[in-house]
Amino acid sequence: MAINEPLTQQLRDQARQFLEDGQVECVIGYEASPRGGARPVFVYDPAEADHLIWSPDCIHNLVTYLHDKKKPRKRGEEPPRVAVVVKPCDSRAVNVLLAEQQIERERVLIIGVACEGVHGETGEPAARCVRCTDRVPVIYDVLVCETQNGEPPGAIPAEEDALFQGDADLARIEEMEPTERLAFWLREFDRCIRCYACRQVCPGCYCTTCMFERDDGLWVDIGIELPQKHVFHLGRALHLAGRCVECDECERVCPMGLPLSLLNRRLVREVEDLYGHRAGREEALTPLLFELGEEGSPI
Amino acid sequence: MKFATLDGLQAWLDHLAQGMDLIAPHDVDGHVLYRPVASSDEILFDYERPELSAKDYLLPATETLLRVKKQGDEVTQEQVLPDRQQVLFGIRPCDAHGMMVIDALFLEQDPPDFYYGQHRERTTLVGLACRQMWEGCFCTSVGGAPDDPTHLDVLLREVDGGYAVEAVTEKGTVLLKGLALEEREGEPPSPVADAEPVPVTPPEKWRPLFEDQMWMRHGERCLSCRICTYVCPTCRCFDVTDREVEVRAGVTRIERIRVWDACTSTNYRRVAGGHNPRPTKPERLRNRFYCKFCYYPEDFGPLGCVGCGRCVVSCPVDIDITEVMRDVAER
Repeated sequence: MAINEPLTQQLRDQARQFLEDGQVECVIGYEASPRGGARPVFVYDPAEADHLIWSPDCIHNLVTYLHDKKKPRKRGEEPPRVAVVVKPCDSRAVNVLLAEQQIERERVLIIGVACEGVHGETGEPAARCVRCTDRVPVIYDVLVCETQNGEPPGAIPAEEDALFQGDADLARIEEMEPTERLAFWLREFDRCIRCYACRQVCPGCYCTTCMFERDDGLWVDIGIELPQKHVFHLGRALHLAGRCVECDECERVCPMGLPLSLLNRRLVREVEDLYGHRAGREEALTPLLFELGEEGSPI
Repeated sequence: MKFATLDGLQAWLDHLAQGMDLIAPHDVDGHVLYRPVASSDEILFDYERPELSAKDYLLPATETLLRVKKQGDEVTQEQVLPDRQQVLFGIRPCDAHGMMVIDALFLEQDPPDFYYGQHRERTTLVGLACRQMWEGCFCTSVGGAPDDPTHLDVLLREVDGGYAVEAVTEKGTVLLKGLALEEREGEPPSPVADAEPVPVTPPEKWRPLFEDQMWMRHGERCLSCRICTYVCPTCRCFDVTDREVEVRAGVTRIERIRVWDACTSTNYRRVAGGHNPRPTKPERLRNRFYCKFCYYPEDFGPLGCVGCGRCVVSCPVDIDITEVMRDVAER
């Protein structure tokens, strides 16, 4: 898919400036992949800022890489300051990590991109995009966008958004009888190879020791079999309740095509209905499960 | 050439399925995977490259090695041995090549891997040649070919109206006894092997590149998932654990299982006391490539890569082993 020249140029200029000024050690963005499309890239040298691109292939949520930048490179040093390119969906993950005190605001420069939607390998709009009406990240330090009458674009009302289709897939699952739904999921989980790609790509999955990978096998053993896979996927979904930002990366990276984000989307809706909480929508939002409120009161 | 029709092949496979485990390419909800099949109706005959290699049937993702039962003071142990004959039908030449690579460590080194050896012994490999090289394939650069019979027991090639059948080994000849074959004029068409060659660099050229910046460049985008190692026909690392399967009054049963493991995963190299000599993604990814092109050939002979291209097409962040091979060659 064609590179967006104006936004690419803005991105490169911004990144070069950040690196030249010494504001950041590294810019985490996208480059053209030798296999076509885009892939994540880490730019350290201002002379390499021209590797950066923006195109509808920039589907990856780069916020997950911030976890690799939390520690100093050498003992005794400060952790590095980095810049990261985010779309509106990705930007919510930044807020989640800030609220959970995983990253320090002053160590992350957020390059927001006004997003017109991205697509997967097939060239169709990504599923996450047909459910999204945001155009501008919820948090950013600089915004890369094409201005209209000097103004950055805003969210489009769902009824005016040509891409927006709502969540028909989730509705289909919700209509199933429980036994039918269980059968559906067991059939899907059966294909899982327990490669952990869904967990590894998830910005919200950062436990030092995942409870599903403990040496003592307290909850599940290491077997790559249906019971372990069943527990892993349901457990992971529950651990992301109130934290998932619906970026769908778990589903995109799954080599076996499991529709994993359906589990998360179901819980997103549950949390929103119960508490009016949508993870990462605001910068200062306290994580849902950190908050105590009176019974019956919204938190 | 020896020739068989599709009907003849199906009748033969249905017969085989009566007496042994038959594994073949199968459509699993839109994914082509090698799966046990009960009859030839379930077999795909027109497919590209199954998404996972066939190693699962020689080195299962999860395999029970031993069962132990403790009742009162009495402890009994039962070794679990695979004994049924097994046919892997429709595997690609690169899958068989991958088994030869694993053999070099698991069978030819002392002591041999007993369980792998048992699986190898009970298995006959019936390959179906690729008519072309698929996306990401580079078998011709690492000593293979889309129609390479070398590591198979039987090789089938698609020809007009059916299949050219070649018995490669004695085991293959025996298996073919029930297949209706006829003699035909001509030779099967050569596959389209037009993939751009990828340079293979010998181990001694890899050694001095260990601290090269390129490992950071390729490895920093790595997610430390296990996709590349689990789809790979030659990655053979495993973990072993004992698990309780039953605990009730006076009786405890445990199983010893071995399960696939992956050097790309965070804790693979962690040792007692918690130290991890490969704490970062670039170090782990580097190890995977060094294993394939430096350590494995040095220690056990063959290259650790058969060019199946599965890791290339399945990496969610486009880490491309052929790009790495080119980078190394250019140094």
